[in-house]
Amino acid sequence: MPNVLVFAEVNDGVLHDVSLQCLSAARQVAGAGGRVSCLLAGHGVAGLAPALVAAGADSVAVADDERLAAYVTAPFAKAVGACLDANPADLLLLAASTVGNDLGPAVAAARKAACAVDCDGVAAQGGTISLRRAGYDRKVMTTFVPAAAGLVVGTLRDGAAPAPAADAARQGAIAPLALDLTPAELVSKVLRRDVAKKTVNLKDAKIIVAAGAGVGSPDGLALVRELAQALGAEIGATRAVVDAGWLPADHQIGQTGATVRPDVYLACGISGAVQHRVGMMDARTIVAINSDANAPIFKIAHYKIVGDLKVVVPKLAKLLKA
Amino acid sequence: MAINIVVVVREVWDTRDLSGSVLDGAGAVRAGAMETRFEPEDLNALEAALRIKDAQGAQVTAIAVGETRSVDVLRECLYRGADKVVRVGADPAGLDDQALAALIAGAIAKAGPCDLVLVGTAVPDAENSLLGRHLAAALGVPAVSWVDAVEEVGPGRAVAKRAVEMGYEFVEVPFPALLSMGVALLEDDPRAPRPAKAMLKLKMKKAEVPVVSPADAGAADPAALVAMKVATMEAIAPRVIESQQVDPESEAALKGMLDAVLKGE
Repeated sequence: MPNVLVFAEVNDGVLHDVSLQCLSAARQVAGAGGRVSCLLAGHGVAGLAPALVAAGADSVAVADDERLAAYVTAPFAKAVGACLDANPADLLLLAASTVGNDLGPAVAAARKAACAVDCDGVAAQGGTISLRRAGYDRKVMTTFVPAAAGLVVGTLRDGAAPAPAADAARQGAIAPLALDLTPAELVSKVLRRDVAKKTVNLKDAKIIVAAGAGVGSPDGLALVRELAQALGAEIGATRAVVDAGWLPADHQIGQTGATVRPDVYLACGISGAVQHRVGMMDARTIVAINSDANAPIFKIAHYKIVGDLKVVVPKLAKLLKA
Repeated sequence: MAINIVVVVREVWDTRDLSGSVLDGAGAVRAGAMETRFEPEDLNALEAALRIKDAQGAQVTAIAVGETRSVDVLRECLYRGADKVVRVGADPAGLDDQALAALIAGAIAKAGPCDLVLVGTAVPDAENSLLGRHLAAALGVPAVSWVDAVEEVGPGRAVAKRAVEMGYEFVEVPFPALLSMGVALLEDDPRAPRPAKAMLKLKMKKAEVPVVSPADAGAADPAALVAMKVATMEAIAPRVIESQQVDPESEAALKGMLDAVLKGE
């Protein structure tokens, strides 16, 4: 049975929920005979190790180092490499985040390992590890296998594996990992971060009203906000709306934002680029309002309203209040 | 002093408006069903390089692997203002990013000194977005991925604006360095990417494109370098969505929709 290493990503002191999903995928791949180990790397993160044991790790290596305070590829890749040298693994799993999709390929490149990112699933059959990934605008599911024996690296999309059930009674070894970093590994520096604090919980929202570039202005957004209030919904946004400064980044849904699965998703002025769609296409019911009848969002919408959102959105709000 | 920038460019299948199946009965990609296009994130990388050239002077070299299918991305680079192009004379079909990176790294080394390598982060048709990382490893240079903009260039370093969850990071890397670019610049700036210039088209139409062989690039048998291979490809059944049009003029229709949606029907 394969041994699996999971990289536990930490953002602002919180374990990434997809890293926890990776642990449940790892547990499944490792089966009864395989070992699941975990690397916890960062600064001031050691306290999170027991949560990883509870979520399914047999052992946790903790690299708690002030030089790991911000994510930079080389020192983190060194930490993963040190882990793999100490405990050889057949599979390395990471979250398909901007950290995991950077770190996983970096480790693979350094070790000439097989790698696939943004995967929808991982399996081990007859000693061969395979990774599945949707490509061609999510029209084709490709299964990858390594060309030769050795390490396989995969990053998993949100939802590719279920969240593990935490068991506080599980036992696992927690040990520090010493890092020997050379000056050459510390040449890249994060000068500053411009990252929003999380104030909304889009993932657990039952109804989301989301604004796209089509809202056109803060005034347009105010109409969307009013509709969200009438529905008791959270407000989501596309990257364009966040970049325009109309909503903070914690409202963003899509590839570099949240992945959501609400009961109802009301898309206002969203064209539906694939970067946004991957974050919301699993909503149970999708309502789209857009003035462009050919907008790609209509291809996945259950209810299509072709019209000016500045007219339609207030009408809907009024109907709800009536 | 003007810096040397290499941009890696790819011609990829355009899957955006594809209707029907991508695959034929045997599970192979139906080539005739799709057009190709200039990989949009590579086009963004080219635009970023040309902006650096406009602002402070730079020698921009574009590199591609393989023969042109229908969009000659190297000539498109020349038409937009690249100074030099190099084609690696190998068929990219069946090669993974590890093998491609070895070929491109060899071609970059042959092209002369290089301060900055720019490449698109993701490729929508090829199945992995690892080229930047593998290329950085092959070149032995630091790299930053998900770069939406090059904030500062030189002397001897660049500052990249990197997209992360919930915001941005500004990362400084010393030269030589590699940046994997996202599409944000193209999406947010209506002037980007710049169009081909008629004058450059006339001038560059017949320009000779030098070809570097795999052996010259130090990877005579690139297929031997492949680490990850495709086992199977299966069509994903299109999601059948019972979809209905709602008349925005009709209050009754809108009300009916709201009732249905909120009841979870």
